[in-house]
Amino acid sequence: MDFQRFKPHLPWITLLVLVAAVGIVDDTFLRPANLLSLAGDIVPLFIMALGLTFAIYIGGIDLSAQSMANLITVVASVYLAPLGGWVALLCVLVGFGMGTISGYVTTKLLVPSFISTLAVGGVAFSLAQYLSGQRALNMDAAQRDSVFGWMIAKTGIVPNELFIAAGLLAITLFIERRTTLGRALKAVGAGEPAAAASGINVARFKILAFAISGALAAAAGLLFAVKLSGGAPTIANGFLLPAIVAVLVGGTPLTGGVGGVLNTAIGTLIVAVIRSSMLYFNIQATQQQMVFGLVLIAAIALTIDRAKLRIVK
Amino acid sequence: MYELKNIDKKFPGVHALKSVDFQVKRGEIVGLVGENGAGKSTLMKVIYGAYQPDGGQVLIDGKTVRFADPRAAMEQGIGMVFQEQSLITNLSVMENIFLGYEAQFARFGVIHWKSMAQAAKKQLAKVKLDIDPATVTADLSFAQRQLVELAKVLTLQERVKGNLVILLDEPTSVLAKEEVALLFKLVRELTTRASFIFVSHRIDEVMELCDRIYVMKDGAVVDVVDRGQKTVEQIQHKMVGRNVDKQYYREPRQKPFDASTVLMKLENIDLVGRVKDISLTLHAGEVLCLVGTEGSGREAILRTMYGMRSPTRGTMTIKGKPAQALSPQSAVARGLGYVPRERKIEGIVGGMTVYENMTLSQMGRHSSAGVLRIAGERALAKEWIAKLSIKASSEVADCANLSGGNQQKVVLAKWRSGGSDIMLLDHPTRGLDIGAKEDVYDMIRDMSDAGVGILLVADTLEEAIGLSHTILVIKDGAIQKRFDCNVGAKPSLFDLLHYMI
Repeated sequence: MDFQRFKPHLPWITLLVLVAAVGIVDDTFLRPANLLSLAGDIVPLFIMALGLTFAIYIGGIDLSAQSMANLITVVASVYLAPLGGWVALLCVLVGFGMGTISGYVTTKLLVPSFISTLAVGGVAFSLAQYLSGQRALNMDAAQRDSVFGWMIAKTGIVPNELFIAAGLLAITLFIERRTTLGRALKAVGAGEPAAAASGINVARFKILAFAISGALAAAAGLLFAVKLSGGAPTIANGFLLPAIVAVLVGGTPLTGGVGGVLNTAIGTLIVAVIRSSMLYFNIQATQQQMVFGLVLIAAIALTIDRAKLRIVK
Repeated sequence: MYELKNIDKKFPGVHALKSVDFQVKRGEIVGLVGENGAGKSTLMKVIYGAYQPDGGQVLIDGKTVRFADPRAAMEQGIGMVFQEQSLITNLSVMENIFLGYEAQFARFGVIHWKSMAQAAKKQLAKVKLDIDPATVTADLSFAQRQLVELAKVLTLQERVKGNLVILLDEPTSVLAKEEVALLFKLVRELTTRASFIFVSHRIDEVMELCDRIYVMKDGAVVDVVDRGQKTVEQIQHKMVGRNVDKQYYREPRQKPFDASTVLMKLENIDLVGRVKDISLTLHAGEVLCLVGTEGSGREAILRTMYGMRSPTRGTMTIKGKPAQALSPQSAVARGLGYVPRERKIEGIVGGMTVYENMTLSQMGRHSSAGVLRIAGERALAKEWIAKLSIKASSEVADCANLSGGNQQKVVLAKWRSGGSDIMLLDHPTRGLDIGAKEDVYDMIRDMSDAGVGILLVADTLEEAIGLSHTILVIKDGAIQKRFDCNVGAKPSLFDLLHYMI
């Protein structure tokens, strides 16, 4: 069979094969309760990957996502007491704002996004250290439960986090498929010169893509902080690699223009299955990043569009 | 000594070389002329080994050879002097000359610079260039770089036994008159050691230098002319081939334009680079054609009018209102449409559907509060697919899979469906087959009838003459001459060429 035609179907086939394989080896794996808690646990990572999808969809990358989430855990812990529920808005605004900076630096100062976001990530990390005084912070448990307790509660046997994830997926899917923003981002990813020659304000849409990525990384950080009831400048370390893996394994290549948020949902589930199977096979947490690194290389090598990328440096 | 027999080369959708016979004798200078797209560059690529022919034979001294890549061709004594210069500007002259062949100066991987400099000096002497071989290439003038390029190819003399064949691709296009004379003198002297193939669009130069001229058209050699056998006019006629048919360019459909309605006006526009003091006026229904050689500044003017470049001086007005700090966004908002030369790069977005491409420039019109009305978009696309008889399986077909002509129709539909009334067309028929070309000509007349002002950079001179109401001839970034092209009183090819070259 022609690999090019087979390629778009690769992600969900991979997911099914993985689920079946792990299910055969580990007979507790396919129980609904196990699957639900597995899916619930991956939600912060999924939200971050959702944001990253926008950056990668236009052919860029956002390496600041993890530092952004770190920063937000600190922001949320520090400002929950004075601001109450409004802290959520503050978190998302900080993420959106720093994403805008990455986008501005990329489009106006012409710094490639892997450098601009790396630099903004460094800034976010420093801010987190400054705000936290380099300590792990704890939220007031009672206040957390009254303001954000619903996020980590369950409805029946379904973790509420899954509803949050589904809601965000629906919103981003709507943006991608039905709005001028989504159409413009697709055009920029698939053929930026043609988009520019059609009179599209390419720079504005690219900045927006990075801003959305930042805002969703912030949302991921907030949820993570609520789950752990606290924050620290390094608490979300280890998120970035699996999040990028989720986007690429899902079928949005680094060259952009194809794939999208639905692909990322599938990619995140693949990551979840790989992760839980590693637990089952007793692979140490310290070795998991190695596996994700290898999966990432394989995913990029398989999905990248060679026609768009003549020279790789 | 070097011979091509029945060479055939096909690309998807294009028969680029049709059974070409070509011969270069020892010490001969052979010319190769033809219009854009006649197959000159494909033939050259076959000769220096960048393309492998699909059929036919390449013979050197009667023996069949086959080159896997340009390096293999070089081993057999065939070298290419590139038009877009192939020197790496941040390396020194000697490093460039021996690029890829440093091993002869190396010991245990360390290069002995002194002996390389000496060897380079010897090569430079062949082209009578007296410069320090350690000079960084970026510091040389264009003419000097051209000579270094030639010296680089002449290293083949030491490496290869037997005779050399050296291709010169448009070597004079950036040279001043005296430099051209020097180059020609040098080439003639070098014929004791090498044969040359000289490719140029300046027919007078080709006739001055060459012993024999191959004339190409539509992928085939249509004539071989010995020195002094034919005039410039006769060769040009061969290049164009047919007597230009008036119907072909839809000349009977040409009507006088509305001279009272000015759509766009440029006054004393200067650009970075060579373009100076451009003034022009585009009226409703007018087809205004910019004519000039490659690099004369035609495209730069077009892109300035679309807001992709900013003028350093002068004023532009669109429909009577000033257009300062124009960007493509504001240009589109004011009714401009741009059909770029690179259709696949700037014209359509491959990977997006026909309807998505058509509404890309006018998403605001098909959305409310940022939410697209996709049903409306698809209806619009269906209407235009029917109107322009675009061959696509449906409005959701991927544009990347359409043929060139249909892609171009999608690009035109994008602007026309959005109501653009100033159209900037850069080589709108480039790479299209004849039927698709005629469709584009019809569309140009339709637009003209509808009162659209059209600024055209045509693919060929005949196309420019046939389609336009007005021609502006541009040379070295300045307007040389204005021609009125009313039906029945159109200027001839040679009227234009006189001002172009």
